[in-house]
Amino acid sequence: MDWLLVSVMNGVVYGLLLFMVSAGLTLIFGMMGVLNFAHASFYMLGAYFAFSLQARIGFWGAILVAPIIVGAVGVVVERYFLRRVHQYGHAHELLLTFGLSFMIAELVKLFYGNYPVNYRIPGSLDFAAFAVGGLDYPAYRVLMGGVAMAMFVLIYLLLTRTRVGIIVRSAIYKPRMAEALGHNVPLVFMGVFGVGAALAGLAGAVAGAFYTTNPNMALELGVMVFVVVVVGGLGSLGGAMLASILIGTITSLSVGIDASLSDLFALFGARQWAEGVGGLLTLKVSSTAGTIPFALMLLILLVRPHGLLGEKG
Amino acid sequence: MKPYRQIAGGLVAMYLGTGMALAAPLKFGIIDTLSGPQSSTGQLYRNAMRFVVDHINSNGGWNGEPVQLLEYDNQGGPAGAADKLKAAISDGVQIVGQGASSAISAQISEDVRKYNMRNPGKEVVFINMGGDALELTGEKCHFHHFRVSGNAPVKIKAMVLTMKEEGVLGTKVYSINQNYSWGQDMEQAIVDAASFGGYAVVEKTLHDTNKIQDFSPYVAKIAASKAETVMTGNWSNDLLLLMKASKAAGLKVRFGAVFLDQPGNIANAGEVALGHYIAHTFNAEHASPESEKFVKDFTAKMGHFPQFIEPQGTWGMMLVAEALKNVKAEKGVLNVNTLAKTLETTKIKSPLGEMSMRAADHQAQLPFAVSVVSKAAKYKQDGTDMGFKLLKVYRAEEIASPVQASCRMQRPN
Amino acid sequence: MKPVHILLLGIVLALLALPSFLTPGLVNAAIQMLIAALFASAYYLLCGQAGMLSFGHAAYFGMGAFATIHAMNAIGGTGLLPTPLMPLAGAIGGGAFGFFAGYFSTKRTGTYFAMITLAIAELVHALAPHLKALFGGEAGVSATRMPAWGFTFGSTNEVYYLTLAWVALCLTLLYLYTRTPLGRLTLGLRENTHRLRFLGYNTHGLAICVFVVSAMFSGVAGGLLVVSNEAANYVLFDAHLSASVVLNTYIGGVRVFLGPILGASLMTFFGYAVSDLTQSWLLYQGALFVLVMMYMPNGLAGLFGQIGQWRSRFGLAALIPFVLLALGAGLLVGGGGAFAIEMLQRFLSQDYQALASANAAGTWPPIRLFKHDWSPAAPGTWLVPATLLTAGAGLAVLARQWLRRLVQREESNRAAAEASVPGDAA
Repeated sequence: MDWLLVSVMNGVVYGLLLFMVSAGLTLIFGMMGVLNFAHASFYMLGAYFAFSLQARIGFWGAILVAPIIVGAVGVVVERYFLRRVHQYGHAHELLLTFGLSFMIAELVKLFYGNYPVNYRIPGSLDFAAFAVGGLDYPAYRVLMGGVAMAMFVLIYLLLTRTRVGIIVRSAIYKPRMAEALGHNVPLVFMGVFGVGAALAGLAGAVAGAFYTTNPNMALELGVMVFVVVVVGGLGSLGGAMLASILIGTITSLSVGIDASLSDLFALFGARQWAEGVGGLLTLKVSSTAGTIPFALMLLILLVRPHGLLGEKG
Repeated sequence: MKPYRQIAGGLVAMYLGTGMALAAPLKFGIIDTLSGPQSSTGQLYRNAMRFVVDHINSNGGWNGEPVQLLEYDNQGGPAGAADKLKAAISDGVQIVGQGASSAISAQISEDVRKYNMRNPGKEVVFINMGGDALELTGEKCHFHHFRVSGNAPVKIKAMVLTMKEEGVLGTKVYSINQNYSWGQDMEQAIVDAASFGGYAVVEKTLHDTNKIQDFSPYVAKIAASKAETVMTGNWSNDLLLLMKASKAAGLKVRFGAVFLDQPGNIANAGEVALGHYIAHTFNAEHASPESEKFVKDFTAKMGHFPQFIEPQGTWGMMLVAEALKNVKAEKGVLNVNTLAKTLETTKIKSPLGEMSMRAADHQAQLPFAVSVVSKAAKYKQDGTDMGFKLLKVYRAEEIASPVQASCRMQRPN
Repeated sequence: MKPVHILLLGIVLALLALPSFLTPGLVNAAIQMLIAALFASAYYLLCGQAGMLSFGHAAYFGMGAFATIHAMNAIGGTGLLPTPLMPLAGAIGGGAFGFFAGYFSTKRTGTYFAMITLAIAELVHALAPHLKALFGGEAGVSATRMPAWGFTFGSTNEVYYLTLAWVALCLTLLYLYTRTPLGRLTLGLRENTHRLRFLGYNTHGLAICVFVVSAMFSGVAGGLLVVSNEAANYVLFDAHLSASVVLNTYIGGVRVFLGPILGASLMTFFGYAVSDLTQSWLLYQGALFVLVMMYMPNGLAGLFGQIGQWRSRFGLAALIPFVLLALGAGLLVGGGGAFAIEMLQRFLSQDYQALASANAAGTWPPIRLFKHDWSPAAPGTWLVPATLLTAGAGLAVLARQWLRRLVQREESNRAAAEASVPGDAA
């Protein structure tokens, strides 16, 4: 039972991390209709910038400043790259971000090398918050979850309770109309893109220290973030939250299940047949932990293409 | 009569002259992953080959000429490796080296086998510096493939013996590995070693390779199993994340990990790494004149002391270099079959001890070192205050694994 | 004969004569270029003509490859078909899986379609290594080409001609497809699906059909790769391959039939030639792609089309200085950029930094690049790329001005012509 509890808690925290990265992505999609392939690269940049800054301004300073720099990079990408190809259509915008993600990964390798860098959580944060079933639960995990929750509440309030939020939402919903009413929609786009990038950067700065900061981290997380955004519903912040936690928990739990489909067949007395067939039927759930999110994404796309909480169909 | 002789003499001179012109330099080729996500390991194998080729040339080269090293980037996949092998053969490469990823080793090994079958007299030889999958010296073994690194049973045997001797092994061992040929070999080796290690394997886990971000669920599983030691063949991120997650959860286990010395690992893991064990082919703090010379020479050339897979690549190629000394050029070129036959009986003194090639399956017999991560180590890793403290060195025969029955090698007459 | 036909005939003749001029290594590169061209062309059918952006085309390429390798290994290694017909198995494998995947994915359009294809490809990529019987695990499956029809298929040249024949046949078929009524309807799918549906067409069925054809030819490309490599590995399903076919197609130009073929051949050769020279070739590839997206939205083929259009507008003589200026600018910027990147890469590498810090004198050891030793501390070293880049930018500005002048001249000429023909307006 302890194992179940620990797994669920770990899954939720991992899910919250996924949310931090996917929040920006889903907002940018809702606004521009473009899936930003370079988004996970912002996550990686956040971790690397924080690593560089940590030595000079300390851990907390780095966590605050790194997202701002990443946000600035995001603004540059939107203003000088994306806006330029906007006239050629969505496909070109999407492919441009695709090319940028390649370039960012290679530039990171150029400046920081191929190996993981030495970015770790500071000793003062390296303690156990509490213990469950004989295992310590690290305080830093609690912190990561807390940051994500705070971020969710802040964005939600910003979007629904403030004037800026109303303009942003109207620019997302009917950009032409908002422009006709005298709002500077390109500025809104640039701002949302920058904030989205900064959020991913923040996630990277926080998580890079806990996991590893290496040139492949964008690649590793990138696809999973897409899964979250699609499952939650493109453009839906609440959906991203729900999907993140769902996927985090599912992957965390599936690791501990050593059953396979043949066990299911065993209920009907057909285990031998199933094991004879082999292939998919004898695959253990635990060894397919990495596959389940994609299967879930496929299922959602086929059954409910606008995602769990998405509105735009 | 006299003019006739002069003509004959001229002809002989001309023949010799063309013979000299035919003597193209011997070419080594490395076909490894030099770009993309997994390039870090491939570049270290390249360091090893550069070092050995320089070594051969500073000792007069081969057949009176310096040997050449051609470098090919397989772009991270078997398909790219197949292309680059063809390019290498067409460039005249006769000795092919590679090490990162068993999948690529398997592709090159098969391609070399087919090429040699179709082009008798123009054979090439593949020196496998680190594709450790057992099937390469098992059912897929052939005369022109030589593995100069270790394999899973050898590494596990060395590690288990030392950990048992040090009294840190315990009786409950958890096996966690990546779900592909290498990880599966490791799992089998860990299970097989239980008999002489005096432990029970409480649980075995195979997981996706380099795809998992959060290892805490696995750590929860390890904790639930009450294991005292975790043995793993994980490398790169999979090892780092596993260690970090177990540290964060306050898990009190000892790790036995064969790829702990990958650059960046210790720096990234930090104090977490202390007290964990590794079996590797070399440790820079090994006290012998040969080791000291090797460390000095290597550092002067590469800027860092030999680490991770560099020693196994270097000494594997040194074995080839030694064999080359005993092979004479035929019409100015190397006969690869002669080299392969010579290699089967070649022995060298590597820094840790004698190293040789086993003729039956072309698996090198090499000594292994077992070390523990400690602050008392002489050579510090990655700019930290930690390094690998050498505990024990095993002679090749102490840890050798038997020839696999599935290897049926065809030899040229 | 039209000039296009003469050009095509010339290309075919050149391709036929190729192996007698090239080393086996380059012939093999040519094989890879042909296969990439076919793959890109099959992808173009779906993406360029039907307007469906797929992010998982490696799945069909890979399925074709595995179908071929199992066909080669069938019946105790003698093979299901004679070697020259093996890619047919690829067509069936790719097409069959394409039907399955296409049935579901074409139910959606736009981003959702792209995401489904991505999900299917990732699913296959994640599952494949676990299904060892089918995909051979990490080591993959290998096979041997059997002699057939009087050929041994042992040499690279024979494989080259086999590949050439298949690629030529498939490209012809793909081109002819665009001329059929079905091909015209495919364009309708891109331009206006609603209207097509109003006209009474079954758009879902049509989309499946296009998807299957595209997957089938991708499968042939996969089969050809297997015939050439005699091995298949689950790495074929990697997202990298899906990505590269998208990049190749767009770099070549997604609006013209020949565009993807051009892009795929050039980029494959680029990869072949450059990847051994530099560690950062992916950076160059990414930069090239970003530049094409920003400045050449219709790809290389679009560039040629644009130049052709300008030639008929301004005349060849007036255009040559512009082309030379633009070419010069491209070369200088490319050279300067490459110099800076290579220099930085060497300077920042951990080994160089370690060597430098070990250097007791505290000076920077020289870096070897382009057969010269450069000192990273000397300003002259960094002046080289800076000069190249500035000069390139200068030429680009000049080229732009020249073009503007041409346009102005044309306008003033037109105004003069209109002025000199008074009677009409009156």
